[in-house]
Amino acid sequence: MQHKFSPRTRMFNLINDDASLLSSVSRFGISLGLGEKTVEETCKVNNIDCTTFLAVMNFLAEENVQPSDLVENISLETVIGYLKNAHAYFLNYKLPIIREKLNDAVLENEQLHSYKVVLLKFFDEYVDEVAKHIEYEDKIVFPYVMNLLEGVNTSNYRITDFEDHHTDVDSKIAELKNILIKYHPTEEVNYKLNDVLLELLWCEKDLAAHNMVEDLFFVPVVELIENKLLNTAKA
Amino acid sequence: MTDVIFKIAIVDPSAIIRSGLSVLLKRLQGYHVHTFELNSYEFLASNIRTQKPDLVIINPTYWGLVDTENLKNENKNSSTHFFALITGAVDDKVLEAYDEKIHLYDDTDSVKAKLDGIFDILDSESEEFQSLTPREKEIIVGVVKGYTNKEIATNLFLSTHTVITHRRNIARKLEIHSTAGLTIYAIVNKLVELNDIKQR
Repeated sequence: MQHKFSPRTRMFNLINDDASLLSSVSRFGISLGLGEKTVEETCKVNNIDCTTFLAVMNFLAEENVQPSDLVENISLETVIGYLKNAHAYFLNYKLPIIREKLNDAVLENEQLHSYKVVLLKFFDEYVDEVAKHIEYEDKIVFPYVMNLLEGVNTSNYRITDFEDHHTDVDSKIAELKNILIKYHPTEEVNYKLNDVLLELLWCEKDLAAHNMVEDLFFVPVVELIENKLLNTAKA
Repeated sequence: MTDVIFKIAIVDPSAIIRSGLSVLLKRLQGYHVHTFELNSYEFLASNIRTQKPDLVIINPTYWGLVDTENLKNENKNSSTHFFALITGAVDDKVLEAYDEKIHLYDDTDSVKAKLDGIFDILDSESEEFQSLTPREKEIIVGVVKGYTNKEIATNLFLSTHTVITHRRNIARKLEIHSTAGLTIYAIVNKLVELNDIKQR
């Protein structure tokens, strides 16, 4: 089946076509300054598995179409590296910046003091939840999958357990967005706050897309490998 | 429009039909829709398990008798409904397994009517969106101060069950589900002071 992007697509066109892919491109370790290079050439230079890179890009660009013909020949090591980079991006880069901007946008005065305290507390609790979710994946899920790839299935763990633990971290960021839109207690127009809100919206979408890659892309591929291993064990 | 995302899985081998239906669903007033497009039935079980869609729309022409009962039973906690997408002649028996049918030439209004018939989506212009009652405000204060449902019930001379019902209504009216979120609401609306929260 033909997909949106092929190995011969120029990287410039890929990013230009759908700017939201830029963050995913960088999570594969590809930086800007791409010249006229195609996807294939860029992957080669950066030592990335091209099939996997394209599968993720097409999955995101085609909006969550189940990748039936994409899952074959995927390098799970590459997917895990990608997911780990996404985790580091959210936790160590994006969320701290949003907190700083939020802190900066809400004026510090007597009237707003209490509001600001509870708002930031809400945000910190949200970040804690994201951190927990990420830690679970980095420490339990990814090592388990790496073992699977070497043909070792040491634990009774199954990737379906991961689905059970995969709570919706994005629902809380949506709540924060709702609270700002509906209940923010000042009447002056606040451009800085609007900027934070837009950044939150973007981050919400980015996180939701990240979870989709995990649930609908990563998990089904792992499941296939699990089943293969179980069947060989039986035979 | 509420902020509840309505998840719909569309199972049809035709990309044109899938994306066309997906666009139509996103236009429906009052529904904040997120669709999953599946080109084959074999991915449905895992989609239901991970995404817990509110609705699955399947074209029965291609997969004959779909065991919707079994799919429902396998996912005890999900309340997934099944609609048939009819693009050609289908045996009436096959259709008995489905909650509703969508025809290829249905317009937006009739699709919406079919969804409205099954799902209880809040109309943002209805009275449900009126402000909180004094009782609900008292309950928020209790929650924000860190009392349990049981303690709130005792303090207000209510049953725990009533408190839970109030909390559900509050969450729906405000679109805030967490205690931390309610705390912000309570501070903004001067239902509590910062000192009240820190006591416990």
